[in-house]
Amino acid sequence: MNPLAGLLSERLSKAQVVDGFETERWAVCGRVPQAVVFPESEEEVAEVLSLSSEEGWQCIPGGRGGWLHGGQPPHGVDVVVSTERMNDISAYEPADQFIEARAGAELDALERRTLECRQWLALDPPGGERGTLGAMVAVGAAGPLQAGFGSPRDQVLGATLVTGDGRVLGLGGRVVKNVAGFDLLKLVTGSWGTLGVITSVTMRLHPVPAIDRSLLFKAPDLTEGATLARHLARAPLSLAAVELLVPGDGESGAGASSPLVAVRIMESVDSADEVERVLSERAGMPPVERLEGEKSAAIFDNVRAMEDGAELVLRLSLLPSRLPDLVEMISRLSDLYDPTAGWGMRLAAHAYTGVLRVMIAKVRRSDAWLDRAIEELGDLRRSLEAEGGSLVVSQSPPEIVGAIGAWGGSGPPVALFTAGIQAAFDPASILAQGRFPQ
Amino acid sequence: MPEPLTKELGDRLRSVVGDAWVIADADRLLAYESDGLTAYRKTPRAVVLPRDTDEVSCVLGILSQEGVCAVPRGAGTGLSGGALADGDAVVIGTARMTDMLDLDPENRLARVQPGMINENLTTAAEPFGLYYAPDPSSQSACTLGGNVAENSGGPHCLKYGVTSRYVTGLTIVTYDGKIVELGGFGRESGGYDLLGLFVGSEGCFGIATEIEVRLLPKPEGVRTLLAIFDRLGDAGSAVTEIMAEGLPPAALEIIDGPTIRAVEASVFAAGFPTDAEAALVIEFDGIEAGLTSDVERAVVQCRAAGAREVRIADSAEERLALWKGRKKAFGAMGQIANDLMVQDGTVPRSKLTEVLGRISEIGVRHDLTIANVFHAGDGNLHPNLLFDRSDPEELSRVERASTEIMAVCVEAGGTITGEHGVGLDKRRYMSLVHSPDELDAMRRIKAVFDPLGRMNPGKVLPDLPDSAGAAP
Repeated sequence: MNPLAGLLSERLSKAQVVDGFETERWAVCGRVPQAVVFPESEEEVAEVLSLSSEEGWQCIPGGRGGWLHGGQPPHGVDVVVSTERMNDISAYEPADQFIEARAGAELDALERRTLECRQWLALDPPGGERGTLGAMVAVGAAGPLQAGFGSPRDQVLGATLVTGDGRVLGLGGRVVKNVAGFDLLKLVTGSWGTLGVITSVTMRLHPVPAIDRSLLFKAPDLTEGATLARHLARAPLSLAAVELLVPGDGESGAGASSPLVAVRIMESVDSADEVERVLSERAGMPPVERLEGEKSAAIFDNVRAMEDGAELVLRLSLLPSRLPDLVEMISRLSDLYDPTAGWGMRLAAHAYTGVLRVMIAKVRRSDAWLDRAIEELGDLRRSLEAEGGSLVVSQSPPEIVGAIGAWGGSGPPVALFTAGIQAAFDPASILAQGRFPQ
Repeated sequence: MPEPLTKELGDRLRSVVGDAWVIADADRLLAYESDGLTAYRKTPRAVVLPRDTDEVSCVLGILSQEGVCAVPRGAGTGLSGGALADGDAVVIGTARMTDMLDLDPENRLARVQPGMINENLTTAAEPFGLYYAPDPSSQSACTLGGNVAENSGGPHCLKYGVTSRYVTGLTIVTYDGKIVELGGFGRESGGYDLLGLFVGSEGCFGIATEIEVRLLPKPEGVRTLLAIFDRLGDAGSAVTEIMAEGLPPAALEIIDGPTIRAVEASVFAAGFPTDAEAALVIEFDGIEAGLTSDVERAVVQCRAAGAREVRIADSAEERLALWKGRKKAFGAMGQIANDLMVQDGTVPRSKLTEVLGRISEIGVRHDLTIANVFHAGDGNLHPNLLFDRSDPEELSRVERASTEIMAVCVEAGGTITGEHGVGLDKRRYMSLVHSPDELDAMRRIKAVFDPLGRMNPGKVLPDLPDSAGAAP
């Protein structure tokens, strides 16, 4: 064992620390940690973080390691603190519609358990269903269902956080309405491990709807697809999701991929048919496909998997009404990807938030490719920011994100707050330093 | 008595906002001595009424240079004493900041000044088929700035969620006059959710001077039912059954027996049977086609839970009549008692009946009338303690009973406030739900925004043990 791993295993146990080649699959944005540690309790997490604070080791909190490659690369990666072994469901009260589990619990384990009582967690973040609850909250990841149910920030009721200096904080609670003091839970949701290790989470649950139905509408081209998606989203209905989808090459049967607008309806039996009628009328055409129950869920499971295997994932946004303009702007990216590699490029846009995800299987490595990629993406980011939008690099080859950063600019006063908040939770600056713009 | 404003400070403030908008004479300051929780009264040193972000920035800049604390205030309808100022602090009121800055129906967004009244936003959005969802009971008087400060709820938050779900961007001014933009729809800026943190920070981090919110399309149809029960516990069971299936109703509200009797004895009499122990108001909204089956299912569930009678409103007028008893409950209680202490706690829904039983025992033990009106669907209780402020002995019993009610809510797995905020009133209960480390973390985060403790001092956080007695 290396000395760092040796010290950690003295504090916990040998079986809870790995080093050497076993740490490779835990690389954070391409950087392999010196050790991965698997604490089994809040006390052990506190012990690891206190030791790291003393030693000045850079720690990256993680679950099963699914999202570690994304985002802004941290300054250093000494220890990955995995919550994988803290994965039990600690409290489930169907009548009160909440579930509390330790952070390493897998999303599909929660789903299996809650379905027994005809309830579910109305969230569909990108990535596999084996992603952990803690990681989902730490990155604040949301998928198409945010249109109907909100994102994790709206559905997390409570969490336990171990801060950088080993304090254990219980944030929020088990009830939906709670304004007892400042809402630190909002800070922790989407904090990318910079404030502490999340060790348990309480989530709001919903009853399983009587009808889960997806309608697929076909559009002749991308701009018309964006226009249709917006037109459907503007219907005076509450829809669970409206997503514009362009599969990659060879992923939609024969020929070139054509855009689809997928609308998910979660309603009672009587309302679902009426909603479908209103949507078809609005679209001016019947859906090309109509999927019910598990098949409806499967379409949106595919959307969750769209980032899998992508070398570059971008999130572009403007106001939702600008979605047709936004999809036109990505023609600028056509030089960036290698059309011969794998599925080429996939697109998915949330019609309600106006966020467009661009997934590229492989970045084209021609002469001066990096300079060109940096220039193209930098230009695109500037144009979007000038119009009040943004470009976030969620996954990329280390060279690209290293040059342009994952996030855009937020301006000096916000940066000042960021530094102060980090210092309040992590005085020794050992947690995921560099994950956020300073 | 408050320390009078020095001539120099008064002149500097007047030069920013205009002579008419700095209030410093004792008579006019009386209007600012309390909020909706009238058990507390304090007179501020002065009130300043700026017109826009720049004026707020200049006013806070001046106060900061002079070392004077600032207390933001909207319409003063808050129920936790959060807008009260000690005699050494200046109130910054938003009464002149009532403009609609931008209404964007295409993106279902509005940008407003913080002094705009909640209901006026819905009125402005109505021609476009849109409305603003959070609907605190005081929505015809309370301001959106106040809603942001308190993260306000309301009966329809059961289905639609509280204020934080609707605020998408803010312009804020910090204690030293710095103007900062937070969030903004249509961009993902990265970094912490400072917007989510600011909503509900009760004026302790700064003043929101522009608010961007999401609007929703008006539902096609609405159906309202009223179910009358002989036992409160039966109404609670009906609530659990109704919530267990499908999309939640838009609202599920209970008024208990003592409240029913207060309503019926007042000018707001709504025709409730006075021997009933609970009236449950159920509202569904959505597309018309689904509402009939929602209503039928709820009727069956109420009857199965033991409802004596279920009334279904067939017209808008009947709908208003069913809501009347719920909406006028506070007014009715005001007619039978001089003063009212409205409590606010949340418990897991399955504990409602047990907790209400214990609250009733607390009332008996302290010889107080406690009437409950509550958002049953989300377990948010509002026990109303009736009293007479001129009787100090009764007031002390009210305080003891309030403390016990809070302890019962926390013991049941709930919390000390669901939507009214901590303010001045609930600081003493904060340690029931938060450990010293958690309170310390909140203190440190406040210091990031307000390092000198100038914004709304003496609110939310309890005093540190070693400075006990510094301020009530």
